[in-house]
Amino acid sequence: MAKVFIYPGTSLILSDLVSRFGHRPLGSALSVREKVQTAGLDSPPLQITSEDPKKGLRFAAVEVPSGVRGRMSLFGPQIEEADAGIIIQDADLAFGCMGCARTNELVRFLLHRRGIPILELTYPHSDEEGVRFVAAIREFLSSLAGGASA
Amino acid sequence: MTGKAGAGGGPARPGVQPGTATKYVFVDSPELTAADLALRGYELAPGVQIKETCFGLMITGPEAEIERLVEELRLLDPDRIFVKDRGFPPGDERRCRANLGGARPGFYGHEHEMRLVRYISSGLRALRDPKKADLLRAKPKHHDEPLSVERLNTIIQES
Amino acid sequence: MTPPVRIALLACGAEYSGVMPEIYEAARQVEAEVFYPDVTLADVRSAGRGFGLDVHSADLKLMIARAEALVEGRAEADAVFIATCFRCAEAAIVRNELRRYIHEGSRLPVVSYSFTERTTAGTLLTRMEALVTIARRRALLARERQEGITLGLDSGSSTTKAIIMKDNEVIGTGWRPTTQVQQSAEEVIALALEESGLRRSEIEATGVTGYGRFLLGNAIGADLIQEELTVNSKGAVYLADRQHGFATVIDIGGMDNKAITVQDGIPGVFTMGGICAGASGRFLEMTAKRLGIDITELGPLAMKGMGRNVPMNSYCIVFGTQSLVNALAAGNSPEDVAAAACHSVAEQVYEQQLQEVDIREPVIMVGGTSLISGLVHAMGELLQTGVVVPRHSQFIGAVGSALLASGFIRKG
Repeated sequence: MAKVFIYPGTSLILSDLVSRFGHRPLGSALSVREKVQTAGLDSPPLQITSEDPKKGLRFAAVEVPSGVRGRMSLFGPQIEEADAGIIIQDADLAFGCMGCARTNELVRFLLHRRGIPILELTYPHSDEEGVRFVAAIREFLSSLAGGASA
Repeated sequence: MTGKAGAGGGPARPGVQPGTATKYVFVDSPELTAADLALRGYELAPGVQIKETCFGLMITGPEAEIERLVEELRLLDPDRIFVKDRGFPPGDERRCRANLGGARPGFYGHEHEMRLVRYISSGLRALRDPKKADLLRAKPKHHDEPLSVERLNTIIQES
Repeated sequence: MTPPVRIALLACGAEYSGVMPEIYEAARQVEAEVFYPDVTLADVRSAGRGFGLDVHSADLKLMIARAEALVEGRAEADAVFIATCFRCAEAAIVRNELRRYIHEGSRLPVVSYSFTERTTAGTLLTRMEALVTIARRRALLARERQEGITLGLDSGSSTTKAIIMKDNEVIGTGWRPTTQVQQSAEEVIALALEESGLRRSEIEATGVTGYGRFLLGNAIGADLIQEELTVNSKGAVYLADRQHGFATVIDIGGMDNKAITVQDGIPGVFTMGGICAGASGRFLEMTAKRLGIDITELGPLAMKGMGRNVPMNSYCIVFGTQSLVNALAAGNSPEDVAAAACHSVAEQVYEQQLQEVDIREPVIMVGGTSLISGLVHAMGELLQTGVVVPRHSQFIGAVGSALLASGFIRKG
């Protein structure tokens, strides 16, 4: 089972397809869950405290806005951990964790810089595009080590 | 910090302990409703917390049990049921619409993708359809490379 | 129980900077409720097109859609708080344009703020308090005449001021540097009473504002304890006799600065803060000290000089002081250095804060620094307009408090 970073990190479609085809999707939900399940934190809504943007300094310099660094504290470790990535290029309507264009640019850059296998595609808007979309993802995932066939 | 709700302290709620998970189980089918899914869920895993939501269900419980339930539920309509992890347990006051006054940001993202999942369903069906073999080999759309002049010339000449 | 004031939050990045608990806490302290105006995905999709600002970040699109819902009346609120990450250019454009859009398209009071992960509830409190006052106390703020005998106190970071008013006239004043909040207040009250010829028991109501307002107000049992944004704007339009229509109030204080767009005596858009004391009265105090003159002499001295002759940038008070020392060492005249210092402070306020409000004429300068004629002149030059400095402008918070306190006189 490979760890596949999904972009947008909030994507239902990517999360579903990656786990359906036997791999582990890395995205927003897992990092947020980790925060929510950490005892003693008291910083609603996301349990992100002023310490998290400081942790984000590992991925972005201090002159980068705090919201970018806070988001990077969620995504940065996942990018480092990922064995592969799938990027939807036209993910313009992803909010919250993915709601900042500057963070998103940095996330895509860091993913590419890792040198891991990356699949890039766009959202399907017809049945035919849907068929190609799913097939491409399945093919990509099956090329990764440890994948289960669907 | 000065927050009002915390994971620490207070009575334990499902979904906030390590080892538990919450997942969305969404359905986009004319033959299966969220209520049908919920009913089947209760039959299959009585100990799991199930909540109906706009596009399907949220299920919360021990991680292994949730995984098992997801696999069982998928069988009801494999091509039209979609599953995703959720960070918060259902009804968590930190993320609840009732406390925020408006939808949380993730809702809009779901709304956006739920309009596209029917094409994913087509894609999943096609994986089992030998007549779609050509399409399955075709590359998906990419936006990262502009059309080359040579290719443009070819298109013009062919048309 | 009075229902809480509902403050619509238009924010980007707040949840990821860890400042949401601070926003909630500041709202809780002033009995307000922060909420997100509800919109649909269709609203968000059309937000860029309708508003005409096509931004990249989805959360900024969401902010725009929420602002449109407020202005078009699809979502109800009592006030609006706009908050985005400090140093984000895309968000700064949206923040400014939404602030203007809401101000022009509705009667909702708006405050905008750019936060870092270090922003605390304390920093946000005065802004939230002002929003709540404007929403909840419109009747109180509608007062245009002082009645009876009232005492107004302004417990500021640098100085403490007292004003006694009787039948719409100032009859006693007191001014002292702030040392200990209560002790300084007692001193200025004594001074004001002496000047007015009244006894303390004759005071019918008391209002308190400024940094020390809670400590002092509770200690002396004040009838009104109010933040300085609403009090100062009320005081400014009252003293300048511009109680109707638009005005802009600028108060360059000892620790932070306030810029407020006022309509009919009620603040519409306001900003408060400043990056460094280099943009405050403190830098001018240091300049006077370095020039070996009293702060009261700095303004007239500056009026005789040419600020343009001396390079000076007080973005940071340390660098500002360095350029001050360098300028004197290079043989520049004290007049030119004084003028340059005034220009630099005015420029910092102009660049950092006046861009966050809508400048509407008349521009009224108040607070102790409004007596520094060189500073007023520099501000007028930057804004290309005449600046009004009303009589008693240095007592602005105390006058505003005394005026508003008359609403609390018990009619026997």
